[in-house]
Amino acid sequence: MQTVRIKRFNILDRSFHFFLILTFLTQTATGFSRLFFSTVWGKNLTAVFGGYDASILIHKWVGIFMICGFIFHTLYLLTRIDFHNLWASLFGPDSLIPTVRDAKHLWQRILWFFGIGSQPEIGRWAYWEKFDYWAVYWGMPLLAVTGVMLMYPVMASRYVPGWTLNIAVLLHRAEAILAVSYIFIVHFFVGHLRPSSFPMNEAMFAGSIPMEELEEEKPVWLNQLKAEGKFETVKANPPSLLYKIIYFIFGYAALGFGVYLLINGIINSRYIPLH
Amino acid sequence: MRNMIDINRTPIWIISFALLAFLLSPARSFGQGKEVTSYINRYKQNEVSTGYYEEYEMRPGNERPFVKNFHSIARKPFPYSSTAASIRNRSLLADSHRGIKFYDNRRCEGCHINETKDIHTTRANLTCRQCHGPEPIAGIDHYYSPLNPIRRHAYVCAKCHQGAGASFAGYVVHEPPAGSSTAKADFPALYYSYWFMMALLVGTLAFFIPHTILTGLREMFKRKKG
Repeated sequence: MQTVRIKRFNILDRSFHFFLILTFLTQTATGFSRLFFSTVWGKNLTAVFGGYDASILIHKWVGIFMICGFIFHTLYLLTRIDFHNLWASLFGPDSLIPTVRDAKHLWQRILWFFGIGSQPEIGRWAYWEKFDYWAVYWGMPLLAVTGVMLMYPVMASRYVPGWTLNIAVLLHRAEAILAVSYIFIVHFFVGHLRPSSFPMNEAMFAGSIPMEELEEEKPVWLNQLKAEGKFETVKANPPSLLYKIIYFIFGYAALGFGVYLLINGIINSRYIPLH
Repeated sequence: MRNMIDINRTPIWIISFALLAFLLSPARSFGQGKEVTSYINRYKQNEVSTGYYEEYEMRPGNERPFVKNFHSIARKPFPYSSTAASIRNRSLLADSHRGIKFYDNRRCEGCHINETKDIHTTRANLTCRQCHGPEPIAGIDHYYSPLNPIRRHAYVCAKCHQGAGASFAGYVVHEPPAGSSTAKADFPALYYSYWFMMALLVGTLAFFIPHTILTGLREMFKRKKG
C-alpha cells in the first residue's frame, strides 16, 4: 500500500529555501575567500572566482539579490497574517512566533535527553525550527545593512560617523561566522545526520513527509489538521524518482561544499584576526 | 643655418605675443598633484579631483571615537613613566621621530608592529609612507601634518576613496584589537560590539551543539512504538 504523505511546504516555501541555499553558499565562498585571503587556501579560493576584486563583485551582486529575496519574503510573510484575527494568527499553532509553549517543549526535551519523561508533543513548528527561521530572519538585515554600508563607505559616512564603518566590518564578519557555523554544524546535523532524518530530511525538497514521520514528530499538528477538517486537503503525492535523484545530488553537493568551507575555515582560522 | 630662428629677423610682434602668453598663462607648478607640491596646491588638487567641497568637509572631525586626551594624560599626577608624556606628545611634533637614535637604519615596523596588522596594510598593500608622507614624518596632530583631522580626508583618504569627507576620515585605520583592554579604553563601541557578538556566537553554539548531539544520541536509543 502506498504510504499517505502530508504536505508541509508549498512550492514558494521551497523556492525560498532553494534560493537561500544557492545565495548563502555563494556568499560564504566569496566572503571566506576574502576573509582568508592572507592564507594559501583563501588565495586559491579567490582564484576560483577570478581574484580578490572579482570575488567581492560577486559578493556584492549576490548580496543585493539576497536583499531583494528578503524583501519579497517579508511581503509574502505579511500575506500569511490574518489581520481580521490578528492575535490567533500571530500566536496560534500555525504561527512561527515563539510562545510559552516552546519554552515548555524545550524543558521537556532536555529532560527527555536524560531519560526523564516523554518527548514533548510538538505542533506544526518545533522550537528549534522556529529558532532556525528567526536566526536567518534576524541575521539577514544585519548583514544587509552592514554590507551596504561597506559597499558605499563614502556615502554611508555622510549619514553616520566614519568610525561606525569599523563596527560594520566587525558585525558583518561576526554575524557571517555565526551564521556559517550554525548552518554548517547544527542545521546540517538536524537535516542529515540525526537518526530520524538520516540520510536526508526530504521535507524541504519533496514538500511532503510520510504519515508515519508526522505521527512520530508532530502529533499535535496531525490532530489539529484532523480537528480542523483539513486532513484530506493536505495529502500529497510522493515525489517522482527523477526529482528525488536530483534533490539528493543537489542536497549532498551543498552539504559537501558547506562542510568543506567549514573545515578549511576552522583550520585556517588561527592565521586570521577575527575582527 | 637657414632653419634656425634668427632673433633679429623674427617680427617683434611674435616675440611680444610669446612673452605676453607666458605672462598671462597660469602659474607653473611642476610637481602638481605629487608628494612634493606645497600643501595649498595639494589641497586644491584634491578638491578638484574629488569634486566634493562642502561645508561639513571643512569642519574638523569631532566624531573621532578615541577618548584619549594626550594633555590630560601628561598632566596626571602619576603618569605611566617619566618619559611617557613626552612620547605621547610626539604626535604634535613636526618631526615625530626627532632624536631617535640610529633612526636612518630602522624600519617603521620595527617599532610600530601593531600598526601593520590592519586591512589597509595587509590587504591593500599600502606602505606607511603612502599615508604618513615622506621624511620628516610629522606627528598626526601637528598642525601642518597631512594626517591632521582637519585635512586628512582630502589629503590622504581621497587619494583612493574619491569623495571622502571628514566623517569618512573618522574610520580608524589602526584600530586596536577589538576584544582588548586598549579597545575598551580607546574605542568602547568596538569593544562592546565584539564581546556582544562573541557572546552570541559562543552562546548559540554552546547551546545548540550539545542540544543537537543529544538529540542524535537519544533518537538512537528510542524504543519503536507499537
